[in-house]
Amino acid sequence: MTSEGEAPGDAAPRDPAASLPDDRRPRSVYGVGEEPDIRFSLANERTALAWVRTGLGLVAGGVALTSFASFADLTGFVDLIAAVACLAGAGFAGYALLSWKRVERAIRRGEPLPSPNGLPVLVAGVVVLALLVAGYAVTEVWRR
Amino acid sequence: MTPPTRDPGLQPERTALAWQRTVLAVVIGAILLAVAGLRAGQPVLAACAGVLAVATLVPAVLRPPSGGLPRDGRLRSWGFLVRVASLVGTLGLLGAASALVRLL
Repeated sequence: MTSEGEAPGDAAPRDPAASLPDDRRPRSVYGVGEEPDIRFSLANERTALAWVRTGLGLVAGGVALTSFASFADLTGFVDLIAAVACLAGAGFAGYALLSWKRVERAIRRGEPLPSPNGLPVLVAGVVVLALLVAGYAVTEVWRR
Repeated sequence: MTPPTRDPGLQPERTALAWQRTVLAVVIGAILLAVAGLRAGQPVLAACAGVLAVATLVPAVLRPPSGGLPRDGRLRSWGFLVRVASLVGTLGLLGAASALVRLL
């Protein structure tokens, strides 16, 4: 893609690897399609990183919740919510990789991008976690 | 799109910044877990979280995933992505372990 629209004599010294075979991993991505505009790959990379940070946010929320539970002597239910949040965060970090692969393949093949099917899961998960914490807070108020 | 040309959309710069804040967030998360583990009397878990913080920060400083344009125009993101995602996954497992240990 770097040699497109350039004079061959201009591209040759600048891109010594342009003619070399593409040995990048994973082969399931770099073995298909054509080299896209590098900006699209960079945007895909940033999207994957945003998913990683989303997962990290869930993990950090879980850690904050469990440490707060230990300082304030809350019940084990809060620790359970925290553990679920941490595991969900780990799951979204894995989803970041899967989604990066799918999107990069689609970009290289010139296909429409796959739908972001982690998004409804994320929304549902955050809603459920919020409802659980809210339910816990309400029952605590009632017990007083 | 040749490496010496500047992208007016600043895509390489934005990607490098995305890497930096991701690494920073992982390090802060790991330190948070380490401190919480120390205060909760879980020294093994705190040590694991501390090791994770170092393992995140040191390679990122020594060989930063710049997100920039390499000279041959070929991005090599996969290794970096796998590494940061597995670090977050490990942190999540450690956090879940820390919460579940308190349940026992």
